[in-house]
Amino acid sequence: MSSPILEARELHKTYHLGQVDVPVLAGCSFTINAGEFVAVLGSSGSGKSTLLHLLGGLDRPDPDSGDILHNGESLSTYTASRLDRYRAETVGFVFQFYHLLPELNVMENAMLPGLVPSGIGSQAARVRAELLLNQFGLAHRLEHRPRELSGGERQRTAIARALVNDPPILLADEPTGNLDEKTGGEILDLLTASHEQGRTIIMVTHDETIAERADRCVRISDGVLLPR
Amino acid sequence: MYQPLLTTRYLTSRMIPLLAVAAVALCVALVIVVISVMTGFLDMVRNSGRTLMGDVVVDYPLHGIPDYERLIALMTAKPEIDAATPVVDTWGLLRMPYPAGDAKESTQVQIWGIDPVSFSQVTGFDESLQWEAVPPGTASGMRTQAIDRHAEELILALDQESKQRLLTMTDDGALEGADTQVIDKLIDGQQFQDWRARLQSLSSTPELLREAIGEERWAVLHSDLPRLLDDRLVLEEGRTLLRNGEPAMVSGLHVSRGNRRTRQGTYEIEGNGYWWMPRFDAILTTIPITSRGGLNDEPQSIRLPFANEFASGVFLIDKTRVMVPLESAQKLTELQSRKGRLNGEIVERPARATKILVRASEGVTPYELKVVVRDTYAEFEQTHSPDAHWAPPAMRSGSGPEVRTWEEQNADFIGPVEKERELMRTLFSIIYLVCGALIVAIFWAIVYEKTRDIGILRSVGASRSGIVMIFLLYGLFVGVLGALAGIGLGWLVTSNMETIHESLSMPPMWLGVALLILAAIFAIMTFRASRTGRLLPVLLGSLGTLTVGGLGIAELLVRQAGGIVLWDPSVYYFTEVPNTVDWPSALITAGGAVLCSVLAAAIPAAKAADIDPIGALRYE
Repeated sequence: MSSPILEARELHKTYHLGQVDVPVLAGCSFTINAGEFVAVLGSSGSGKSTLLHLLGGLDRPDPDSGDILHNGESLSTYTASRLDRYRAETVGFVFQFYHLLPELNVMENAMLPGLVPSGIGSQAARVRAELLLNQFGLAHRLEHRPRELSGGERQRTAIARALVNDPPILLADEPTGNLDEKTGGEILDLLTASHEQGRTIIMVTHDETIAERADRCVRISDGVLLPR
Repeated sequence: MYQPLLTTRYLTSRMIPLLAVAAVALCVALVIVVISVMTGFLDMVRNSGRTLMGDVVVDYPLHGIPDYERLIALMTAKPEIDAATPVVDTWGLLRMPYPAGDAKESTQVQIWGIDPVSFSQVTGFDESLQWEAVPPGTASGMRTQAIDRHAEELILALDQESKQRLLTMTDDGALEGADTQVIDKLIDGQQFQDWRARLQSLSSTPELLREAIGEERWAVLHSDLPRLLDDRLVLEEGRTLLRNGEPAMVSGLHVSRGNRRTRQGTYEIEGNGYWWMPRFDAILTTIPITSRGGLNDEPQSIRLPFANEFASGVFLIDKTRVMVPLESAQKLTELQSRKGRLNGEIVERPARATKILVRASEGVTPYELKVVVRDTYAEFEQTHSPDAHWAPPAMRSGSGPEVRTWEEQNADFIGPVEKERELMRTLFSIIYLVCGALIVAIFWAIVYEKTRDIGILRSVGASRSGIVMIFLLYGLFVGVLGALAGIGLGWLVTSNMETIHESLSMPPMWLGVALLILAAIFAIMTFRASRTGRLLPVLLGSLGTLTVGGLGIAELLVRQAGGIVLWDPSVYYFTEVPNTVDWPSALITAGGAVLCSVLAAAIPAAKAADIDPIGALRYE
């Protein structure tokens, strides 16, 4: 189809909980092509969120244990500020628990990534956030605080936030995990629509029926990826 | 920039940061008030120095400087010197006109013999005179006495028509429109003392009295009271130290016990205006002392009328100083021009002055002036005529006259005040630490609470330094808001110092009652809250009840005890509490508070930057 946009090579990640080392990823490798919608299936604690954090540059793999390439460029060579820029420009996160800032209203939450130094800027962010929120049916909610919204509305706001800088990659961590089936379906529709516009989507979930909405599905188990 | 957005939202959406703002504001206000009062106090000391003594003093006690007119002429010829004036100072006893009876009180006074014209050029003497007119109560008393003195003359001169007028005026309108025959009958029944009483009852309404007795008698009545006819004389007599053309004295306002300071800062005269000093005479007594410490002569006494009173604002001086004409003081101290024996010859010894007060020209500092004065004195020594029998005392001899600035003259007084202010500044700067610690604690709690937000911000591309900036900016906001509020509060308190001081010295009744009512309301609210079973409202309510109620009771107790005097003029030298903000210090204080807030915020900010975004996002 097209060239790989993200490539994981032999990823290892171990968490140190006090005296105990907990290996979460143990040599995870895969390639994602630009424009793909990939679901990563795995049970709780299988390391799927960790994988997403690594791909999104929020965390780094264990030293000398694997690498992530974005368009052929190794993330391990990125400086801290380059990685900040990568998170702002290249990826957008959607979380299970929405993670909206309670003090900001819907509009401001959605604009937020546009305001960081490598974002698209305040003016552009306002225009784009308004556009996205309108598309997502939140036009009447712009001035509301997150606590005044339903779960579905919160997640739609979070998706608008993830898309405000128009990143080529969207990373979704159990985006429907906290929603009922109908609302979850609506969220998946939004993701699918975004994918149809050419965005690469990587979604982790434990729910096989949801995973079916993706082009491709991989399974993570004991820290390694298996084809489904 | 997302930082200003988040900072303002964090600030406005919760109470805790407002607590930090309030803490900063209180600290700033406290320091501003304390420093302003101390600085105001110091300024008052400095200004009063200039007003009372000029800039530089040449001091040669007991002996005095002979030929001082020539010295002053030499001085005033210098461009650096604006004016100079001779003073003879000594201590003495003033026998006061009170109490009534023979056993009068005596009080110890510092006598300053002055030449009023040049003295006013050097000091602010003429502006410090207290009375611009005879107080109304005193005036009517003085007229009553004058009517007594001139009664015969006044009453004999009353013709029938005047008597009719007088009778109608003094009968409270009872005779309004009465028959002339009735009035004439009444007139016949009046005795001498009745007429006198009727005249005296008009002494508080001078216009009626004047109408009743006619212009001619009016003039007779005031022949020895010109001050009652012309208010300007009261100030004029004070300025010239002459009353009715005779040498007179002007005493400090607190020398006499007849003046009572009211809570409004004005003065009331005891005995309904009777004990107004400028209507009395008093006897001044001194003991002339030689430079060897022995008695020079018999104790000297002089009787002088009071011409006016002065209020310099320095309590110590207003309490003890009496200004008399230079010649009178020279007589009291044996420093007047007189015959003396020198090398077996009887020669004329010139009059002397124990102090020369000098005022600098515009732009000349006291220290520059001091050098000029020294040089002038050297010139004075060198140029003294070889024929003169009495050479000026040599300044460089070590026992000769001393030249000091006012600050040096009063160093033992100004020094401690300056030190006290610096001590206060240092002590109160510790408040910044308290303030800083409070900000660290509050911000630490906020960072803890906002851990998840920090994770989210990092996930959308915010850098660590960006996170640090949020909290530094937050500290800056808290600091600036607190400093501004503190300046406002400090200004409010400082400029209303007098009112606050007055209401603390005698708090109003309604305040205590209002506080008790408020405490009762709190108590009711606490009782209601206790039924919900929640502890916090009960605790807050109880604290509120106890605090407000305690304040109310304390306030009423203070009232019961007759109030508290916080600013005792006899302790603080000045009769008024300073009430102007020391702006340079206030701005430095505010700046310090802002800096302190930002520095204190840096600690939690660094913690925030160190938060691992993954852990933060899991944080629920």
